[in-house]
Amino acid sequence: MKIVSVDNINVDNYRKLVHTYLNLHAYNTALFWADKVVALTSGNPRDIYWLAQCMFLLKQFHRAAHLLRSKNLDKSYILCNYLTVRCLFEANELNEALKVLNSMDLEVFLQTGNTSCNVSIDAGMFDDTPKYQVQSSVLLLKGKVLEAMDNRGLASECYKQALQCDVYCFEAFDSLICHHMLSAAEEQELLNSLPIAQQCTTAEAEVLRTLYKSKLKKYNTIVGVIPTKTCKPIYHNTPLQTSLIVLHKKFVNIAETPKASTTSCTPTSEVGMDKTEDSKAEHMVLDSLENSIQIRLQQSLDLAVSQAELFYYNCDYVQCSKLTENILKEDPYHAACLPIHISCMVELKQSNKLFTLAHNLVDLYPNLAISWFAVGCYYYVIGTIWTLVAVENEHDQAMAAYFKMSLTFVYIGLECGLTNNVRLAERFFQQAQIIAPDDPFVMHEMGVIAFQNLDFETAEKHFQDALIRVKPIKDSIVPERWEPLLNNLGHTCRKLKKYCEALEYHHQALVLCPQSASTYSAIAYVHSLVNNIEDAVHWFHKALGLRRDDTFSTTMLNYVIEQLSMEQLPYPDAPDFIPDYDIGTNVEEDTTTNDNAGNSSERQITASDMSIEVDL
Amino acid sequence: MLSESELKLDLSIIKNDLATGIRECSHRGLYHSAKWLSEINFSIAHIKTSPEDDNKAEVELESESYSLAKSYFDLKEYDRCAFFTEACVEPKPRFLHLYSQYLSIEKKKLDNMTDTNCPPDPTKNNALRMLCTALKEDHFLNKLDGYCLYLYGIILKKLDLNSLAMDIFVDAINEEPLHWGAWQELALLVPDKSTLLSLRLPSHWMKYFFLAHVYLEQLNNEEALDIYYDLHGQGFEKSTYIMAQMAIAYHNRRELDKAILMFKELLHLDPYRLDNLDTYSNLLYVKEMKTELANLAHTAVNIDKYRVETCCVIGNYYSLRSEHSKAVLYFQRALKLNPQYLSAWTLMGHEFMEMKNTNAAIQSYRQAIEVNRRDYRAWYGLGQTYEILKMPFYCIYYYKQAQQLRPNDSRMILALGETYEKLDKPENALKCYYKACNVGDVEGMALVKLAKLYDKLNEVDNAAAAYTDFCLKEEDQRGGGYDGENEFYNAFQYLANYHLKRGQLQDAYAYAYKCIEHDETKEQGKSLLKAIATRRAEQEGFLVKTSDQSKNNVTDLSNDANGSGMEMVFSPLNN
Repeated sequence: MKIVSVDNINVDNYRKLVHTYLNLHAYNTALFWADKVVALTSGNPRDIYWLAQCMFLLKQFHRAAHLLRSKNLDKSYILCNYLTVRCLFEANELNEALKVLNSMDLEVFLQTGNTSCNVSIDAGMFDDTPKYQVQSSVLLLKGKVLEAMDNRGLASECYKQALQCDVYCFEAFDSLICHHMLSAAEEQELLNSLPIAQQCTTAEAEVLRTLYKSKLKKYNTIVGVIPTKTCKPIYHNTPLQTSLIVLHKKFVNIAETPKASTTSCTPTSEVGMDKTEDSKAEHMVLDSLENSIQIRLQQSLDLAVSQAELFYYNCDYVQCSKLTENILKEDPYHAACLPIHISCMVELKQSNKLFTLAHNLVDLYPNLAISWFAVGCYYYVIGTIWTLVAVENEHDQAMAAYFKMSLTFVYIGLECGLTNNVRLAERFFQQAQIIAPDDPFVMHEMGVIAFQNLDFETAEKHFQDALIRVKPIKDSIVPERWEPLLNNLGHTCRKLKKYCEALEYHHQALVLCPQSASTYSAIAYVHSLVNNIEDAVHWFHKALGLRRDDTFSTTMLNYVIEQLSMEQLPYPDAPDFIPDYDIGTNVEEDTTTNDNAGNSSERQITASDMSIEVDL
Repeated sequence: MLSESELKLDLSIIKNDLATGIRECSHRGLYHSAKWLSEINFSIAHIKTSPEDDNKAEVELESESYSLAKSYFDLKEYDRCAFFTEACVEPKPRFLHLYSQYLSIEKKKLDNMTDTNCPPDPTKNNALRMLCTALKEDHFLNKLDGYCLYLYGIILKKLDLNSLAMDIFVDAINEEPLHWGAWQELALLVPDKSTLLSLRLPSHWMKYFFLAHVYLEQLNNEEALDIYYDLHGQGFEKSTYIMAQMAIAYHNRRELDKAILMFKELLHLDPYRLDNLDTYSNLLYVKEMKTELANLAHTAVNIDKYRVETCCVIGNYYSLRSEHSKAVLYFQRALKLNPQYLSAWTLMGHEFMEMKNTNAAIQSYRQAIEVNRRDYRAWYGLGQTYEILKMPFYCIYYYKQAQQLRPNDSRMILALGETYEKLDKPENALKCYYKACNVGDVEGMALVKLAKLYDKLNEVDNAAAAYTDFCLKEEDQRGGGYDGENEFYNAFQYLANYHLKRGQLQDAYAYAYKCIEHDETKEQGKSLLKAIATRRAEQEGFLVKTSDQSKNNVTDLSNDANGSGMEMVFSPLNN
């Protein structure tokens, strides 16, 4: 064996090797060479960092963390610290992770970073990541650790700071939005407070705002019916593109609705207007829209998913499933789209499609929560709840991730409502309302609670508030989902003795959801209360026609029908006195045959009389 | 609403209209409307239109997707048809797109129907509701033409949103007055004449056909017949449709012979026609014309075994032969072919009644009413079933519904009266019987019931008057095998007592004498006669003693004292 001097070897070549193999995802090879580099350089922190990185990518989290900590690198180098925490977080050692995080003072690093050459040079030596991004990543990681430890308040603070450091840090933004840590107003505030202008150019700032806007709370804006004249579809014909164009049109419309922001698309059209001064302004606007970055970005499925989510929250399940189906045609396993798609299929009760999808998912990703969520939904749709419960228990953690927070509160509240724990239910709903003050679902449930507390005025107020939010701008098409709201409003009005309004609401509910036995019997009940007994009988009959074992309707029908039979005249033009018998003459006037009969029989009697006489 | 002068029809215009209508309807797969228009068109085949009008029918270039979709539609591949027309915006393929979706839903519903869930559960209508939402949106955007509006109306009606459906049909008619289907659907929804008159209908010649149709539907037979006579006189004398409608009007008016005659003529002109034959078979059934009915059943089976009308005719035939379970089988077959077929539901209810299966009968009658609330036979049947179930309040409600639909039919009001009597409401019952007598009692029992109630309410004079009338009538009809003899003789007995109490011994004697003719009342009659005799003797004695008594007695006596009575007292005893 020849002895080779260290000086003859250019370690940098080996370092390059490590990088190349890492880029090629040949982690084991990279690990091998990284280990040799560390040996050659006898423990250069930067090389150790890379070695640890290789271990991390090989999912050898404990090993990497141990390496870094045994060399005490986690205390002196910010990137090493970050990687250590990352490893511990992945290994689910949350307490340890937090300890390591806190062992290095970020502020110190930042302040000394400028002066102390040691740290800053070393940090810069590892790679050329800009400092604010490192800082942002550390804060994001801290947030994640805290959130995993159920410390939501601190976590959201960390996310916010991360976002302040680096406005492009989408994960922090997404964590804040998707895990419902902020109320709608706070979200808006956050968006406004971001130093977007400082960190990017004007055009980029616009793009960023648009993208983030699309992610904000969905159930604050209710989309109305889209007037077709806003844009003429003169685009290509592939289904996805058309759907995206439709989507874009709706996007424009959201911007026009009073509640939504005005920033999203209108500025671009204004730009277009500036460019074009001739009569073809409108055409040019379209052109510029087509070339605008926003339109290009529509090609990103992510925005389509946001649109689908918006449809979902507006209960427009048919539209939503059309959109998600198109998205999934492009990207069959789009992670963000799948939950919406599955929920949609649940709403539309498409058990067959759900079955196929769930099977595919479980085959491909048995470890992903979404696969089991799909399976659970399938069992839910076909009605075997027990299996669902089993699945749910198994993947409790997973389910929790998918259920949106405010909705979860609503569900918990509902559960309490069903078990008649009204106080508790109310508390949960209030919590939900703080998160989403304009959510009609929450308002509706608050109304129900008030109703159960026999506080009908408040109930009516809540329901009316919800109805205003639900009703689209032009009062046209309320999604079928809201039939209970209208019925509840009807019940409340009935309790408040506003019978006409009650009837009106019930009939509206019937239009949304026809042939509903309970609505029929509610209508009947109102009729019976206003002593409109004939109608009451009619509607109770209808209700029982659809649901024969309805005891309320049966009892009520027995009661009203008895009342009706006793009170009404026997027939419409019946006299109110006992008529004297004068039919003989009437009959004679009316029908000649009877007349003849009467006369002849009279004659007969006299004749028989006579004959007897004669006989004797 | 329709004066003579108003109804002036220009047949050549009508002919052109019909040509357009037939073309439009058949292009859209609206076969029943096309058939109806063609039948009307055929009945005025002798009218020649100017050739230039004929050429006006422009040859339209049909798009490829339309012809593809239409061929699928004709082969009943509805889903395929809907798929290939999804992106179409031209009116015809657009309509086919929507219509084929609707028909697909309906077809699947029928296909999934088993014996147990006939008719299909109305609450399982998700697909229909979704289609309805889609149409609702298009309607809101004013994107529906006359034919699509019709479809929207149909779906609304299916979802039991009738008042909304009515408005939509009116819109549809105003857009496309030549589409008979829309008129026909509207006719089923108009509840009464005042609503009919308030509808905003186009002044179009189709309106006359519609009005007559509605009047007939509302059992307003006279006005319907008036219009049909008019149309008949204005050039439509060959129309088989009008003939059939007139026959139905006669049937409703219980002019059975006239109706049968009409149907016979109709079958002579159009021997393979099955439409409305169920009504004809009802007529034959009521008239108990067994051979005719058998013949009709055989003819119908030969034409088409699987038509609702055929099944109904056969059902009636078996029912007349008292093979009720077989009859039910055929009515069920009819309902499998079309669960909305009214006659079969009602007739099946009758059969179940015969088989003493009250629950099944109630279900059938209820379904009949679901299909058409104006079916008085079903309401009456429901009343009868609840009578058996001893639920008189329900009974009253159902009989009342029937009575309101047929205000001049004594059977309903009589049934109502009987129920009131059961509920111990003699006043109401009496009013009912009174009305029954007034409208012309068919079964002849109202009068005696009325008399009994008068008696019960101590209206003795009225009771006696009613009994007297009853006796007079019955006396006349006794030759016809009347079997309610007891009632008859009880009436005599009552009258004898009545007159006896009044001291009208002559009358009392005559009635008491009648009582002896019947076994049940024989003894009573005899004792009555004895009582009369004693009274007479008393009165004569009394008269001798006090010849200057009050005038009443004198007149009574003078009535009786014609001598002949004395001998008669004993004469029956000799027989």
